[in-house]
Amino acid sequence: MAAEEPRGAFSSAWRHQEMPTKPNYALKLTLEGHTEAVSSVKFSPDGEWLASSSADKVIIIWGAYDGNYEKTLYGHNLEISDVAWSSDSSCLVSASDDKTLKIWDVRSGKCLKTLKGHNDYVFCCNFNPASTLIVSGSFDESVKIWEVKTGKCLKTLTAHSDPVSAVHFNSTGSLIVSGSYDGLCRIWDAASGQCLKTLAVDDNLPVSFVKFSPNGKYILISTLDSTLKLWDYSRGRCLKTYSGHKNEKYCIFSNFSVTGGKWIVSGSEDNLVYIWSIQTKEIVQKLQGHTDVVIAAACHPTENIIASAALENDKTIKLWMSDY
Amino acid sequence: MAHRGGERDFQTSARRMGTSLLFQLSVHERELDLVFLDHSYAKPWSAHPDASSARPTRMLFVTPRRQQENTIESDVPIDVETVTSTPVPLYDNQKARSVMNECERHVIFARTDADAPPPPEDWEEHVNRTGWTVAQNKLFNKILKALQSDRLARLANEGACNEPVLRRVAVDKCARRVRQALASVSWDTKLTQWLHTTLVETLSLPMLAAYLDALQTLKGKIPTLIDRMLVSSNTKTGAAGAEALSLLLKRPWDPAVGVLSHNKPSKLPGSPLILIASSGPSSSVFPTSRRHRFWQSQLSCLGKVIPVATHLLNGGNGVGILQCLEHMIGGVRSKVLEVHSHFPHKPVILIGWNTGALVACHVSVMEYVTAVVCLGFPLLTVDGPRGDVDDPLLDMKTPVLFVIGQNSLQCHPEAMEDFREKIRAENSLVVVGGADDNLRISKAKKKSEGLTQSMVDRCIQDEIVDFLTGVLTRTEGHVGSEPRDQDAEKKKKPRDVSRRDLAFEIPERGSRPASPAAKLPASPSGSEDLSSVSSSPTSSPKTRVTTVPLAQKSGQLGSSQLLKRHMQRTEAVLSHKQAQVPISSEPTEEVEKEELRVQLKRHHPSSPLPASKASKRPKIKVSLISQGDVTGGAPEAAGGKPITMTLGQASAGTKELTGLLSTAKSNSSEGGVAASPAPAGVSSSTSPTALHTLQSRLVATSPGSSLPGATSASSLLQGLSFSLQDISGKSSGLPPNSPSGLAAQATSVKLPTPMQSLGAITTGTSTLVRTIPVATTLSSLGTTPGGKPTAIHQLLTNGGLAKLASSLPGLAQISNQASGLKVPTTITLTLRGQPSRITTLSPMASGPAGPEEPTSQALASSSQRLPPAP
Repeated sequence: MAAEEPRGAFSSAWRHQEMPTKPNYALKLTLEGHTEAVSSVKFSPDGEWLASSSADKVIIIWGAYDGNYEKTLYGHNLEISDVAWSSDSSCLVSASDDKTLKIWDVRSGKCLKTLKGHNDYVFCCNFNPASTLIVSGSFDESVKIWEVKTGKCLKTLTAHSDPVSAVHFNSTGSLIVSGSYDGLCRIWDAASGQCLKTLAVDDNLPVSFVKFSPNGKYILISTLDSTLKLWDYSRGRCLKTYSGHKNEKYCIFSNFSVTGGKWIVSGSEDNLVYIWSIQTKEIVQKLQGHTDVVIAAACHPTENIIASAALENDKTIKLWMSDY
Repeated sequence: MAHRGGERDFQTSARRMGTSLLFQLSVHERELDLVFLDHSYAKPWSAHPDASSARPTRMLFVTPRRQQENTIESDVPIDVETVTSTPVPLYDNQKARSVMNECERHVIFARTDADAPPPPEDWEEHVNRTGWTVAQNKLFNKILKALQSDRLARLANEGACNEPVLRRVAVDKCARRVRQALASVSWDTKLTQWLHTTLVETLSLPMLAAYLDALQTLKGKIPTLIDRMLVSSNTKTGAAGAEALSLLLKRPWDPAVGVLSHNKPSKLPGSPLILIASSGPSSSVFPTSRRHRFWQSQLSCLGKVIPVATHLLNGGNGVGILQCLEHMIGGVRSKVLEVHSHFPHKPVILIGWNTGALVACHVSVMEYVTAVVCLGFPLLTVDGPRGDVDDPLLDMKTPVLFVIGQNSLQCHPEAMEDFREKIRAENSLVVVGGADDNLRISKAKKKSEGLTQSMVDRCIQDEIVDFLTGVLTRTEGHVGSEPRDQDAEKKKKPRDVSRRDLAFEIPERGSRPASPAAKLPASPSGSEDLSSVSSSPTSSPKTRVTTVPLAQKSGQLGSSQLLKRHMQRTEAVLSHKQAQVPISSEPTEEVEKEELRVQLKRHHPSSPLPASKASKRPKIKVSLISQGDVTGGAPEAAGGKPITMTLGQASAGTKELTGLLSTAKSNSSEGGVAASPAPAGVSSSTSPTALHTLQSRLVATSPGSSLPGATSASSLLQGLSFSLQDISGKSSGLPPNSPSGLAAQATSVKLPTPMQSLGAITTGTSTLVRTIPVATTLSSLGTTPGGKPTAIHQLLTNGGLAKLASSLPGLAQISNQASGLKVPTTITLTLRGQPSRITTLSPMASGPAGPEEPTSQALASSSQRLPPAP
């Protein structure tokens, strides 16, 4: 009895805090412009822009709030798989199947540097918080760290035995997490390139996406068995499992939404966008509208806006908003 | 008593908590000290008589173990957003960042061609490698790789809250790799010089800055090699650039520079003497580690530091470990005795590293010291942990502080707790998180905690100060007045006697068969044998410990030690240099000042020695004989301390000299009861307890020359006798002078003006003869009667006798005569002093500040004359 009571109070407090359990996102805009499947969408850190990369070899910049077309960045010779913003929202880096990464100046739309070194498709990329480094993952099974200023590869991390599906810096830039189809998530010391930790996901299921939580305490791992898992990597423990969506084939982006309620947002192969409550693991909303696999879902840094993008039968980006 | 002690400890700690910045900084790591949380009416931890004398362990930078959470997973609220606040750096961030970027700011100095545009960012493609040899390519690539990793670390750490520490760690790593690369080519001068030039020419500025950082770090570790490497570039850049560069590379930066220099440790109360027991026999092949030297200088901020170095017997041939240990213990022990006899009222603190700590503990069981500090402690032995019932250490009564590393191999915190429980002495334990046997914290620890070794060292030092202050303030209050102390003394006396008996055996057993270095003369006359035996010019550091039972003046049965030590001058100089010259990367200002002073002194024009030429040849043997105190081993301040300094001259050229010698002779012959007639009178008149008869003889052991009075002196005089054979020159008549002998003898022509103490001695007119105590390698003799030991023996050991002589009117005369003789081998110096003056030099009178000045003076001479260190 006595043991029960505080717990009851505790959970009721939670319930109180989470009272409006539905985020109530609604479709606001549909952005059309890409001529091929969209591969990635990202909001700029300052919240002004949305960048999308596509199999049509270009990057398009959109206004984040109004969805207005801003500009197109041309340069890559082959499909682009990923795009990422620098912290000051002035630069972009893109990863392409032409085995290069390109650093773009958003204002001028010019390519500043081409990072050559990977031997196969470059699949994922990210800036560090100080935006002095870029990390990239490739089908050549390596992770490379590049110096932004010179475009030189400073370090090659070779510790995966399958294509690298995702790479991400933590909030302080001290760690890098990489996920691969070989079923491993590795945490690296960014400064030395040493592997600090390896998280083996059950049954060596291919890891399709991985990223740090905004505070860097947890990592969110997607595997191709249609589950998302939240790990406390310092203790090597899985804390939460989110499921209900479909993800067996593509590397689908997922995200933490922290502007309103605390959600996990992910695309799905059943053409929906799924939103879970981080704490309760319940699906709190499914966003319907796309006509193909939702490959990417991004959350605006300050507003309750979700951007989602779908593959070649759809080719559109949709902006969803909530007054939560 | 215990209660009072406890209270005071509390107050001390509380006060320190408020004041010591670093203490505060590390406080978040400390576990709650339950003693401090006691109610006011609670009895202190040590109130119960049966209570363990182990005080609660203190943790420095020990990360608390994470508690296992048993909560149900679903109930753990997950916060993906809130960033845990990063701890504020333990140092002045702004200043740290400023020093951190020193190399970047001044990178342009390194450029040979300042006018040419700096290499572009893609400099790597522009490096023209045509004509490079394989070795050159290999070396260049290695360095490049090191610099690239460093670059990565720099960029990754940019903006991090403890960036300076992270940078420091990264630079250290880069420096290590560069060093490895250079070592792989055996530091080939040509290759390294080529490399340096090429790098300076081709590297882009940021990379060059990283390279300079690495050089700066290495310069602090291997200055000669780096200097050699930079030679070529210096010639090209011109003087200004070279100077700027060398200034930049002068010393590696430290993130904690501001904090540490602003929060200097204060001197310990009661001006204690800190004896550092060495952790092994010193040898020229393996010089004292930089870390130990650094700590020696750190400790000298707290009080007078006297390193006790032991030397390998017989060059290490056929000496067992046991013998060696006994030798070390004997060395430290005799040093303690010596110090006690000369500074009866100064607390003595024994400090040792690892084995040295063990030696210190053992000595504390045998001799009275105020406190023992063990830095690192070899608790675990091949036979399991120490602390069995038969372990003599359990009988320790001296307050002891153990400082151990959490990751120490020789010790384990938990085993240490068990051990501490069993020790009877009041003891404290400080565990340094993530530190090894030498209390060095790991790189990971530095990174995760944002620490540098210098900060950790300071915290350790604070702990030591904390502990010692508690012990010293307590003992200070008791001196002479409290019954307990008297009791202790009473108890001590018989113990001392028995111990001394034991002491005879130790050196006898331990060293006699091993080598002449620690030979126990069968008869008192043995000392003479020794002097001749040890006169080889190349004599490796040797120590003689001889004990001779002697009848006490009062007729009581007792014994005192006659210690004969043979030392090599350079060794003594080295040890002193180590003690005084800051080796730390960040020397305290105080030390710097001292250095400056030393330099000033060095340039101080000293009158050319009339006897300098003369004294080039003679072998100098100085023996110091001091009468042991009957009551308690520590002689009461001697009113009159007769000194005889005899520079034996083969061709006894002067009647005066012979006269003096005969005085010495008679002095010695009268020995037991009183020193020579003249001094005897003085001493009896001034103070009956004047028991020091110090006689130093500088004897030319030329074949032709006989040692006047040597035999009888050593046989009859009670007390300590230190024999120093400084120079093993050949006899005056013999042309082949060994170079080393000459070098050694280069008799301190520029020796600074004589020390005050000596001056004081000489002002007098009475025939008091005073011997200059001679430094022994074993001991940096902190024990001289005048309280200015090191200075004096530095003087002597540096062949400064002549200088000394010149400073004394009477002596100058002698030396003049000597020099006139051209080939004098023996000079007899008699220092005459007024009894009253001498009394002021007694240990009682010597103020705490006393020992310092002469030391620095002596240092001046020593550094000047210091042969290139191995």
